[in-house]
Amino acid sequence: MKKRVCLFVCAILISIFATVALSALTAEEIIKRRDANEYFATAQVEAEMVIINGNRRIVKTMTSFAQGDNGLVVFTNPRDRGTKFLKRGDDLWMFFPEAEDLVKISGHMLNQGIMGSDFSYQDVMESNKLIDLYNFELIGEEEINGRPCYILEGTAAEGKEVSYYRRKSWVDKVRFVGLKEEFYARSGRLLKVMNVTKVAEVDGRWYPVESVMEDKLRRNTRTEFIIKAIEFNPQIPAGTFTLENLR
Amino acid sequence: MLFLTRLALKNLARHRNRTVITSIIIAFAVLMYILYDSLIGGMSEMSYATIIDYEAGHLQVVTEEYWQAEKEEEELPLEHLLTFDDRLQKEIRQLEGFLAAAPELNFLARLNNGVDELPVLGKGIDPEAFGSVFAMQNQFVEGSMFAPGESRAVMGKRLADLMELGVGDYITLLVKDKEGTFNTIEAEIAGLVHTSNPNVNQNIVYLPLALAGKGLNVDEQVSKVIIRLENKETAAKSAAGLESRVKKIDNRLAVYPWHELEAITFIDAAELEKQVIFAIILLIGAIAIINTVILAALERMGEIGMMKALGLQNKEVVFTFVLESTGIGIIGGIAGILLGTVSVALLAKFGVDFGAMAGMDITTFGLPIIGKIYGVWNPAGFVRVFSFVVLTSLLASILPAYWAADKDPVKTIYHR
Repeated sequence: MKKRVCLFVCAILISIFATVALSALTAEEIIKRRDANEYFATAQVEAEMVIINGNRRIVKTMTSFAQGDNGLVVFTNPRDRGTKFLKRGDDLWMFFPEAEDLVKISGHMLNQGIMGSDFSYQDVMESNKLIDLYNFELIGEEEINGRPCYILEGTAAEGKEVSYYRRKSWVDKVRFVGLKEEFYARSGRLLKVMNVTKVAEVDGRWYPVESVMEDKLRRNTRTEFIIKAIEFNPQIPAGTFTLENLR
Repeated sequence: MLFLTRLALKNLARHRNRTVITSIIIAFAVLMYILYDSLIGGMSEMSYATIIDYEAGHLQVVTEEYWQAEKEEEELPLEHLLTFDDRLQKEIRQLEGFLAAAPELNFLARLNNGVDELPVLGKGIDPEAFGSVFAMQNQFVEGSMFAPGESRAVMGKRLADLMELGVGDYITLLVKDKEGTFNTIEAEIAGLVHTSNPNVNQNIVYLPLALAGKGLNVDEQVSKVIIRLENKETAAKSAAGLESRVKKIDNRLAVYPWHELEAITFIDAAELEKQVIFAIILLIGAIAIINTVILAALERMGEIGMMKALGLQNKEVVFTFVLESTGIGIIGGIAGILLGTVSVALLAKFGVDFGAMAGMDITTFGLPIIGKIYGVWNPAGFVRVFSFVVLTSLLASILPAYWAADKDPVKTIYHR
């Protein structure tokens, strides 16, 4: 009898262990795999931003370059042609060709939407890996647009300066790319929601190429961000991320 | 000499019309100067009062780093804050001429009404202390001040109108807390104010200190302590005295009097413009005086010739003329001062309502004036303008008098 019980307990333990080992990645592993897809050191992107506010629809096109902590965005649509953003580390400058004016964007201005969009300067300035900024926890699973996802909840890691204290991420179980993201204030208020509407395989990695950001503090507003072309690890000319290049 | 003086006085009486007309012109210039000086003084006082009464108080206790950061970077840091504890409170209360002290926590926020967002200045305040330092109580156009601990807010009527908000509506303030993380502060609008301070009307949202402190994650720290004194003129002295004592509590602390604030130096910068206008008024007066004196000299060529023929020396002729002209200056100056005294007395008592004259609220243009402007007494201005007209009359007459006195008496008598 004793032997039987022992065997039974062992069997249960083994089965539990096996399911855990087979099915479950830890939250950390999921985020690491996501970072492996979405994080890049160097990239060149052709993109389009569609800002929708009520019935108003504004389209802006841009070419952007990113390398580590530095970034350069050059607007190419007729209205904003020549307008440039330069990010160097934690600093951001903007250049307006018509006024030939260079403006440093700092402090509170970073919280504003870029050119009236739902993306704030701060949103695009965080270039670190998610795993370095947040402590993630696996809180469930759900299907998004027919694709099974892990739901992860990240809380700002101690001592890290992040814009959003808490974020909820839906990560594709197979492709390991974020399909939905909810951003919360420390008070618990939902600030922004980003839905990824199209994912594409680029250079052997899955990358979100179409997404919609909604500022939840404002009604009837959303911004679509569509990547037309993306190249990872391109050759970026030296001097791209300098103030001289901005003028 | 006495003879010449008497002659000059007789001349003044003889040419009564000329004396009266010139005196009137001089009196008018003096009156204009005094009125302008009084009103400008009134406006400066009012500007000081709007800043002191709604934003600055008389003294500010703040850490030196915060003061610098606020001044140079035009940011409102959540670092370098201070703790308004019992010890500091006690020290401040012992200050001579102390009336009240109010802590405030300043921060930048984005005011959100669900549709639009606007950058605003948030202020966490203790409503009771705030009421005794600032003149906000009687400026409510709707609702009232919140109580401590409530989740309610007060803002300018103009800001509320712009955001289409009213009393009872809920607002969300999007802020960055001390760690740089987004946070939201939600509050119901308790009251709307309309003051003579455009900044308060358009840019500021007041919240209970505890609510703001929690939203910004700064524990119980505050940005500044604002102190109201019995007399604003003693601020500089009190600041120095208090600073040495608060430094013993926390050596980062400093005390700044109201006139060191940027907004005040901004008002003072307009001083140059005022001086230019004063100069123009005085120039008009001077031209009137010079013109009359020259004409008088030309007109009286014959008389001068006669005086010389009777044996008067050049310098005696000049003396008579200068004395006469100075006499006109003194008469005009005294008349102007008398008129000015009456006008300033009226201005100081009844004031003028430029807003009503223009038919609109002039705070719209950013002028910190609501209601009437009252004149102020400036004795130094009286003395200054009187000395100026007398001196101008004196100096202006010297050259024409010399010129006339220098002529050959025969030629001047028969110059026709």
